[in-house]
Amino acid sequence: MKVAIRMISIATALSWIFLLAFTVSAVYSFVKDIRLSFGEIQMPTRLTEDNEMVISMPITIENTGPFNIGLFNITTEISDEDGFVVTRGNTCVPIIKRNTVITINHNVTVNITDLFQKGYAFIFNDTTLVLYESASMSIAEILPFRASTNTTIAWGAPLYNLSLGEPEYLAVNRTHTLIRVPVGFENHAFFDIAGNLTIRMYSSENTLVEQEQTTIEAPSHTIYNGFAEIYVKSTAISSSGRLEIYLQTSIITLNLGEINFG
Amino acid sequence: MIFKALKAAIKGVIFYALYFVLWMFVAPVASMVLGLKEAIETFVAVYITLMIIGEFASGTIFQYFFAAAKELFIIGYLLISLNGGLVGGSFQNINFVLDIRLFLMLAVLLSLLGFAKTVLQAINYVSEKAEYAKI
Repeated sequence: MKVAIRMISIATALSWIFLLAFTVSAVYSFVKDIRLSFGEIQMPTRLTEDNEMVISMPITIENTGPFNIGLFNITTEISDEDGFVVTRGNTCVPIIKRNTVITINHNVTVNITDLFQKGYAFIFNDTTLVLYESASMSIAEILPFRASTNTTIAWGAPLYNLSLGEPEYLAVNRTHTLIRVPVGFENHAFFDIAGNLTIRMYSSENTLVEQEQTTIEAPSHTIYNGFAEIYVKSTAISSSGRLEIYLQTSIITLNLGEINFG
Repeated sequence: MIFKALKAAIKGVIFYALYFVLWMFVAPVASMVLGLKEAIETFVAVYITLMIIGEFASGTIFQYFFAAAKELFIIGYLLISLNGGLVGGSFQNINFVLDIRLFLMLAVLLSLLGFAKTVLQAINYVSEKAEYAKI
């Protein structure tokens, strides 16, 4: 009995020493020897061919400790103030060996077309987006650790303060009239707006009388003031009807509004 | 009695020295986790007290009662103070969670092993007493 008890005592003592030494040194090494450097968030200056906005952030992980880091995972979630999730990005490094320095590029992709189809608020209103960042890893490949933080980024609306003015009727010659509708907005977005303004004239019987396109170009962070113009045969202008104005860009096709006349 | 007191004092000093050395490594984490320092200090104080009392009671059956109490105290205190193994805190707008459930599980298992050992020691002590009485 005494031998068995002694054996248990020795085994327990050694296990305690090993457990404490390992846990304390792993946590100590994690605090002292692991450095995470988050680079400047690189906001895109233009969209990709697929109308995607790629937000990129370089992350440098320096592991000078005696243990490997397992399952290093960075998650970014961008949502609006109401909790609507705009996008979610994830970057994973299966293992970071000891005494290594690695730099990864954490990319978060937002499809602008999808975004605008989900919510028109992003088109017309400046807003604040909530950026949730989470980093998780396994210290010494055994002890899971997770850190998270919330920050906000400003979203500039591409068609901020959109206004359609009263249509102007200008007689070009005896047969034709030019109808001009003033269109104005502020492009607060980081990307340029280039496309066409389409104006369609409908009679009171709801038949299409005429339609015409005007090229539009509104660089980022500029105020746009222009006209949607249409040449119509003077005889074709009915006593009443409506004008419909559309904006067509590579990102989105949008009905800007209707103006009734007569 | 003096020998017992001396032995208890030496054990207490060794344990405190061990705590002191380990604390140097844990200190950077303790500054981020609220209440961790107090929890560890309380643990060390109660553990040393039970160890000293157990040492004074050595040679009697009560020695094993205190040893068993010490093991049960470790289990209970670790479970409560470590919040079930999820240690959380915040540092400069960053919230973090350290999952030490594996450590906790192993610590509880080792404590249970220690508890079993104490029970065996108590049985051994009683049986030896009975044998001496018979002789």
